[in-house]
Amino acid sequence: MMSTYYAGLLADVGILLLGALSVYIILATGQLSLGNAGFMGIGAYLTSYLTVTTGIPLTLALVIAAAASGATGVVVGFPALRLKGIYLAMATLGFGEMVRSFFLNFDAMGGAGGFHGMRHVSVAYIWTWAAAILLLVALLERSQVWLEMRAVRDDETAAGLVGLNTTTIKVGSFGFAAAVAAIAGGLFAHHHVYIEPGNFSFERSIDFVLAVILGGSTVGAGALVGALLLVMLPEYLRFLAEWRFAIFGALLIAMLLVRRQGILDRSLFGVFRFRRSA
Amino acid sequence: MKSSLISALCVAGVSAALTTAAAGPGNAQQADREIVLGAIVPSSGPFAEWGRANTVTLQMLEKQINGTGGVNGAKLRITILDDATKPAQATNNLRKLAGDDKALAVAGPLTSSAAEVTFPVANEMKTVATSQASSKPGVAKLNRPWAFRNTIDEGVLGRTTVPYYKKSFNIKSVAIIFDAKDATAATVGSKIMPALMKENEIEVLNANDPLSFSTGDLDVSAQVTKMKALNPDGVVVSADYSQAVTVIREMKRQGMIKPVVGSTQLISSAILKAAPEIPIVAPATFYASMKGEKPEKFVDELQPLLRKTSGLPPEIEPSMYDANIYEIVSIYIDAIKSTGVTGKPEDIEADRAKIRDHMAKLVGFPGLGGPIGFNDDGDAIKAFYILQGENGAWQSKVRGCSTAPGHPGC
Amino acid sequence: MLLQQLVNGLTLGAVYTLIALSFSLVMGILGVLNLAIAELFMLGGYFGFAAILAKLPLPVALLAGMAGAALVAAVIEKIGYQPFRDAPVVTPMLSTLGFSIILQNVATNLWGSDPLQLPDEVLAARFTFGPVSVSAMQLVVLGATVILVALLAFVVQRTSMGRALRAIAENRDVARLLGVSAGPLTLVAFTLSGALAGAAGVLVGLHYAAITPYVGVEIGLKAIAVMVVGGTKRIWGALIAGPLIGVAEVMTTAYGGSQIRDFVVYGLMITILLLRPQGLLGGARTEQGPRV
Repeated sequence: MMSTYYAGLLADVGILLLGALSVYIILATGQLSLGNAGFMGIGAYLTSYLTVTTGIPLTLALVIAAAASGATGVVVGFPALRLKGIYLAMATLGFGEMVRSFFLNFDAMGGAGGFHGMRHVSVAYIWTWAAAILLLVALLERSQVWLEMRAVRDDETAAGLVGLNTTTIKVGSFGFAAAVAAIAGGLFAHHHVYIEPGNFSFERSIDFVLAVILGGSTVGAGALVGALLLVMLPEYLRFLAEWRFAIFGALLIAMLLVRRQGILDRSLFGVFRFRRSA
Repeated sequence: MKSSLISALCVAGVSAALTTAAAGPGNAQQADREIVLGAIVPSSGPFAEWGRANTVTLQMLEKQINGTGGVNGAKLRITILDDATKPAQATNNLRKLAGDDKALAVAGPLTSSAAEVTFPVANEMKTVATSQASSKPGVAKLNRPWAFRNTIDEGVLGRTTVPYYKKSFNIKSVAIIFDAKDATAATVGSKIMPALMKENEIEVLNANDPLSFSTGDLDVSAQVTKMKALNPDGVVVSADYSQAVTVIREMKRQGMIKPVVGSTQLISSAILKAAPEIPIVAPATFYASMKGEKPEKFVDELQPLLRKTSGLPPEIEPSMYDANIYEIVSIYIDAIKSTGVTGKPEDIEADRAKIRDHMAKLVGFPGLGGPIGFNDDGDAIKAFYILQGENGAWQSKVRGCSTAPGHPGC
Repeated sequence: MLLQQLVNGLTLGAVYTLIALSFSLVMGILGVLNLAIAELFMLGGYFGFAAILAKLPLPVALLAGMAGAALVAAVIEKIGYQPFRDAPVVTPMLSTLGFSIILQNVATNLWGSDPLQLPDEVLAARFTFGPVSVSAMQLVVLGATVILVALLAFVVQRTSMGRALRAIAENRDVARLLGVSAGPLTLVAFTLSGALAGAAGVLVGLHYAAITPYVGVEIGLKAIAVMVVGGTKRIWGALIAGPLIGVAEVMTTAYGGSQIRDFVVYGLMITILLLRPQGLLGGARTEQGPRV
């Protein structure tokens, strides 16, 4: 029987894992998104609206919200094609802030006052989704599509010349990632049973990116390691009292210095799997 | 290959070492009985000062109680956890305090955002949680029966504040400005205050054009310029005092010296320094210069401790939130003493229920500002004071009481 | 009232210009988004406050803020950028995030989380030109911004150090081949960027007369928007974009309502990014950022 404290932390890990995966998917095509909290927010509000106001069961509501958010992701993905690197990152930052600003003014769902009424779900339910999507990403990593995504990341021009449809790949990655982030949002809403626009700020987007980079930006399982680290580390640092966050920041920098590709990477994965990967 | 494995293991190992090193104190009750209570305060983040002052207050109370024989003969232990002003951490804190540390009741969390997500957990864990500062309307109400707040709904407070303000400064028209990003401030500024102004026949000059800013904004010159052009008799500033300071200073800068009225969020010593010539009217349930044996004793004991604490400003005074959390834990102790709470692990569910029932029926508990009880919404029935801040000091002008129908007064 | 709002907007714009320049010095030359600039700004403000509270004159306070922030920026360069100069830009960006967390915590522990206020406004004298009222401090903010920007432009355009910075911005590898070594120059870029952010902090802190450890957070994000709109590699771009965004913000608040202000500012940023990613004053449309 797990202590509910650890259950609560585990729920946070599951939600952060999904958010981190959403960044990972986009990152795999060479794009950095600093605005995935926006997709998370869309998922959270839409799912909550569906379960609270129209009484649709949670699983179905999550699927609908994921689809809607995925469509938004595709819509965002198209203009994103025109930008690269840090410019794209800044545009996604702007997008995330605009979504937050939208919900702040959206009085129909509470605005700054937030939205209530959701039913609490168990940790097991959250992890069913998290594990399923992690598995999905792991399967994707073994597929042809992933090779194409990596090709686009490594050299987009060459990939285009070889005949890959870079547009579909890049826009598709945004769409898929937006759907995953939306599920993170819906689960977040039904774990905390109250949401407000402040939950989906730039800080949240950065947490996703942090989890991926720290945990390992080249393998999907890195997002899991990163999520565990980001949720558990501040808890373990409690004994540092008022210097908790300063030490956390220092550890962050230290971890990046020691191992900049993140804790997990392909070669490490290869060791664990008793075979070398390419 | 090998070195990357080694470095990965090192990082993992360091994390594991930190885990074991920092694993909290054992959860089992000591051989000699202990009464464990919990507290959730923001000791880091934008409200770090409140959290740290609350911590000093509770440590003082713990020492006082244990110095006079403890609770029912057992030693009192108050476990204080920092929620870093992040609502998710507050929920996990409550799970830890109630689940692992077996606290009989918990004081906190402080902010309404944290309370909104932590109170449902209180109901899930069947442990009383009482917020020392949340005043956003309806937060406890939605989370009965285990959620309480030792604060008064801003709507109730406003009903006494606004008539005083109107009479004192002969106010016939106001402009309202609020922090749109802060749930409590936005609700007060866009719903509660306009309704109160209407009730009191004060015209809201910018009724069709709400003026707001966001938490963290430095520049409110545009909004204040607009307000100045409307030329109201007074200004409603609905925001936490750190933000309100920005507005009031800008008003002074632009030469708009008009009396200001607001919610409990304005109460602080910082706001008195912003523009001493602008009178500020706001409600409070406690203030440091309050007269009376209990509050004076409280201030005399707490103030030196606060001023000695590193990280707190040298001129700090006990605040309303310190008084509130002191009262909350005192009420818990009173509940434990008078309902036969044993503190034994096997009785924990019964003990918690006893505390809950005691609080629900509480009437006339001697608080620092007067008698305290709780109404059906879980909010406090206690005395409050309309304070006017001018020239660097708060003065009490009116005493009110947040009675609800069907409950005895203060 | 319109003129008064314009003046409000210009003052805000001046602040944005300084911080945007601070971002763009590092972003334009090194391609790194230094997320700690908001905290350098905040530290500058606190150092300036400390100087004023110690009764030192305003120019000394300004220098104190600039020097203090520049020093911290140098530390960040050594630990947070140098080791990562060959890594994808997201890594040094996150390392600067680590610094920003540390600095916020340190500031909270040193000065408290409540707003630190000046007892009296510095240079509070107000001048009235017709319907417009301006304070002396506001004029100082505007004036100091113009002077600092001019100084920066001089350094970048006319000195050999500036030439070297521009060379590295164009193409780091070629610059190295031509004998311009990146190492000491990135330190210069970071330090200058820190000094600018610190100056903005002092000016803003003294103008608004109240600061908290979190004062940089919102302003930092807006300044990024300003940098993008102006063109990340062009100094003059920030000088135009700053007042542009400042005035746009103020006008939106004054005539459209404060609620949609953020929407407008970020919307503008995204529109510019889509239509003209090199910014208003950017040059050729080659702004492909380094690999992320």
